[in-house]
Amino acid sequence: MSAATSRAGRPGFVWVAPALAFFALFALVPMVVVVFLSFTAYDGLNPPQWVGLDNWARLGADPLFAESLWLSFGLTAASWVLQTAVALPLGVWLARRGRTRAILAAIFFVPLLMSSAAIAVLWGTLLDPNFGLAGVLGPLVGIADGNVIGNSRFAFAAVVLVIGWQYMPFHTLLYQAAARAIPVQLYDAARVDGAGRWRTFVSITVPQLRDTIITSGVLIVVGSMTTFEVVLILTEGGPGTATRILPLHMYLTGFRSFDMGYASALAVVLLVLGTALSLLIARVTGYRKMASQREGL
Amino acid sequence: MITVSTTADRERAVVGGPPPGAGDPRPRRRRRRGFNVLGALGAGGWFVLVAVPLYFLFVTSLRASSAYLAEGPLALPAELTVDNYLRVLGSDFPRYFLNNVLVAAACVAIVLVLALPAAYGIVRSRSRWVARGFSVMLLGLAVPAQAVIVPLYLMVTQLRLYDTLLAVILPTAAFALPLAVVVLTSSLRDIPNELFEAATLDGAGPARTLVSLVLPLARPGLATIGIFTALQAWNGFLFPLVLTQDASVRVLTLGLWDYQGQYGTNVPLITAAVVLSLLPLLVVYLLGRRYLLAGLTAGAGR
Amino acid sequence: MNLWTLQNEGINTVQQQAVDGFNDAGGPQITLTTYLNDPYKSALQTAVGSPNSPDIFYNWGGGNLRGYVEAGQVTDLTGALDARPEIKDRFLPQVLNGGTIDGKVYGIPMQGVQPLSMFYNKEVFAKAGIAEFPTTWQGFLDTVDKLKAAGVQPIALAGAQSWTEMMYPEMLLDRVGGTETFQAIADGEPGAWRDPAVVRAMTMVQDLVDHGAFGTNYAAVDYDNQASQALLTSGRAGMELMGSWQVTSLNDNFPDFLDAGKLGWAPFPAVEGGKGDPRNVVGNPSNFYSVSRSSADAPAATDFLLTRMTSPEYVQGMIDKGQVPGLTGLDQQVKQGRFADFNTFTYEQTKNAPTFTQSWDQALPAAEAQTMLTNLAKVFNKELTPQQFVEAMDTASR
Repeated sequence: MSAATSRAGRPGFVWVAPALAFFALFALVPMVVVVFLSFTAYDGLNPPQWVGLDNWARLGADPLFAESLWLSFGLTAASWVLQTAVALPLGVWLARRGRTRAILAAIFFVPLLMSSAAIAVLWGTLLDPNFGLAGVLGPLVGIADGNVIGNSRFAFAAVVLVIGWQYMPFHTLLYQAAARAIPVQLYDAARVDGAGRWRTFVSITVPQLRDTIITSGVLIVVGSMTTFEVVLILTEGGPGTATRILPLHMYLTGFRSFDMGYASALAVVLLVLGTALSLLIARVTGYRKMASQREGL
Repeated sequence: MITVSTTADRERAVVGGPPPGAGDPRPRRRRRRGFNVLGALGAGGWFVLVAVPLYFLFVTSLRASSAYLAEGPLALPAELTVDNYLRVLGSDFPRYFLNNVLVAAACVAIVLVLALPAAYGIVRSRSRWVARGFSVMLLGLAVPAQAVIVPLYLMVTQLRLYDTLLAVILPTAAFALPLAVVVLTSSLRDIPNELFEAATLDGAGPARTLVSLVLPLARPGLATIGIFTALQAWNGFLFPLVLTQDASVRVLTLGLWDYQGQYGTNVPLITAAVVLSLLPLLVVYLLGRRYLLAGLTAGAGR
Repeated sequence: MNLWTLQNEGINTVQQQAVDGFNDAGGPQITLTTYLNDPYKSALQTAVGSPNSPDIFYNWGGGNLRGYVEAGQVTDLTGALDARPEIKDRFLPQVLNGGTIDGKVYGIPMQGVQPLSMFYNKEVFAKAGIAEFPTTWQGFLDTVDKLKAAGVQPIALAGAQSWTEMMYPEMLLDRVGGTETFQAIADGEPGAWRDPAVVRAMTMVQDLVDHGAFGTNYAAVDYDNQASQALLTSGRAGMELMGSWQVTSLNDNFPDFLDAGKLGWAPFPAVEGGKGDPRNVVGNPSNFYSVSRSSADAPAATDFLLTRMTSPEYVQGMIDKGQVPGLTGLDQQVKQGRFADFNTFTYEQTKNAPTFTQSWDQALPAAEAQTMLTNLAKVFNKELTPQQFVEAMDTASR
């Protein structure tokens, strides 16, 4: 490092190097390798063989890829609608004080304490048509045989619901914190103007939560694009391919079919989507903004 | 970075309408009632959706398997038993639990040791390379683990780490690192420049500054990223799934999945295992709610 | 030397004894490493041929073994076997066939034969007024109707895993088109999936589905968590098509059901006018041990397999765990123990079977097998017609 006075006592690159090297070894190097593998035919057994753009050409012709991408986008959109529609009003509602709300909040937040695997296992038991709740409650909502996860129409909805069940408390928490930070003067002014509760909600609360809506939305998008174990445990992508989202398609292609070259191409698609989304996070919301949104928790 | 919300904050923050109890002179009751009904219905509906599975989870875990099958899942249990818990605890569960603790502890240690100097370097260094390194970290924020699992699997087998806890620990820590650095960096930026300058005037080099100035002030930030990392490791699934297989190195998440296959239709036993798996976080939640929530929402950067 | 095998508490002890016996002789020492099913496949796939390669490895024979053979990673055992005819003749040919690729033996059968059979709840059958398990397809369809009329789901099907669904078309194809039809598919002959018998078998499957033979929620029923077994044993379903491991599995999970003598079993019915011999069996002929090409001491490894897999202690140990090895001359040995009746049935069935067709998912290369399973689930779900299934598989096999 230069000995210039302005740099005296300042740490150099060497302070960042260990973290960077560690991150590079287990995250950056594999990223490079996965790109390389996507241009090869590789089954794990025989050495990778360079096949040029074959795997990439296959993407276009693989109906399962189109379906899985479509399912992933669908899952993202449905998750965003469901989770925002519930978490935003709920967070706002829970932002106010009161014993009932505090007790309800405590219950609402319990899923936060469970791992994805635990949630998927719990819902797997709940949705079992013969031995779970689905067989009992199904007939009440018009599903006579309780067949939810084995039905191509309902299985996707079930996945959206279970993922929503898992992440809803988290987003509610974000909205609750953000709602508490809205200056009370705004509401005073609205009251003077004679605005009703709905008007206040639409014209003050929602605009004030704009940043949180973006943050929460981006997180839902990233989370939904990469969600994996809930679907693996709950449906394994089935019935048929009705819930075979992109990350699962990649996993099954690589580790069940041992088509690791093609799986790598699928992984690169995930990688590109993931990186694009992380750029989006950094650009649109800014990490500093996100840090400040944790205030008031 | 984490501001403790004071009572004053709480009173200031009233949302969605006037504070409770504040009278509204104008009679706009019809509209208002409509909104309330909607709100209550929505909250009530979601409440049912959250509460029923949780009720099912806790109550079923206390029922005998035979009673569950005979009476059905929703019946009010005639008698409760802790047998399911004893059986789960008598199985491999404690080992899975211990493995999870080891993985989480090691990941936290690695992340704290690497992230603190990195964040300090990023905040204080004038080097262009540091800035570039930081950009790389930022880029890694949302890289999904699935995207690199195939090469990671190959690397781990080549390094002969397959089926060891280290195989889970290293990538888990590496993937928790970018966000840890980012969160810690923004936390260190809040340290006033004057303090650093004073330390330099005292003749402190970077190492002493880190220990005597940065470390004490970074504690809340370290707690946040520690909890965030521990949560990541505790709930991790893909890395253990692909990089280990033996029961001696199995972690809890995979263990739960295993129970589902092993005990199958013995629903009470499975629910007992699920309840046991969430107890540690419940304890953390009760003891340090604020830190846990901060750690959780540090995930807001992922 | 390293021996890799699958985790199975009961069987592992027998295997460990065989290894110990071999090690005690003072020659090269063998270490046993056990794996779970899915991780094992990927671990093996990436290890064979690398410096981490095991010397002896467990495999499924068929397409699974073929991949390793074609990569030049497996030792040809034909010569060693031919040199010891007294050992070679002990293996049932239809079982040894599973470890034979292009006429050369690469895998030695190492555990019990696992043919598919129909398992039924005798009590349910009696209540529905069915005296005997049907031996013809028409009789089978009548049985399905009778069970339905008695208010019972005729067949328990764990359709959450499509390998259980696969058992129906693979049995039916053998009955309808004969063993050659699938043999051609497994050999990768172009257009083999287009055999009209495939469409016919798939149509029969969908007829069963339409008929409500599997109930309606089978796609949500799991085999791994014993949900389908629970349906069978609780009397909510009448029967289930499954491999011979069903009996030991039921014994572990529902011992009362076996104690009460409610479990019945029978061969899969014949199909009228079909080309296949109704004595043919389908399932897992066995699992196999193979010696990797890179093994430091292939002769010793081969010697271990030839002598230990046929030794009286090993065979008796396997039978005690409910496994019937595919060897000749076990007629008396299988008539003992808790599973005597069933073991005898399995042994006779296998011994007398003209052919033993390997399960589709194991006979086919991994990628094609996965595609087949996915498409099959869609056939059961009525998302693919039999014709569309054939088209999809024809594309996938090229």
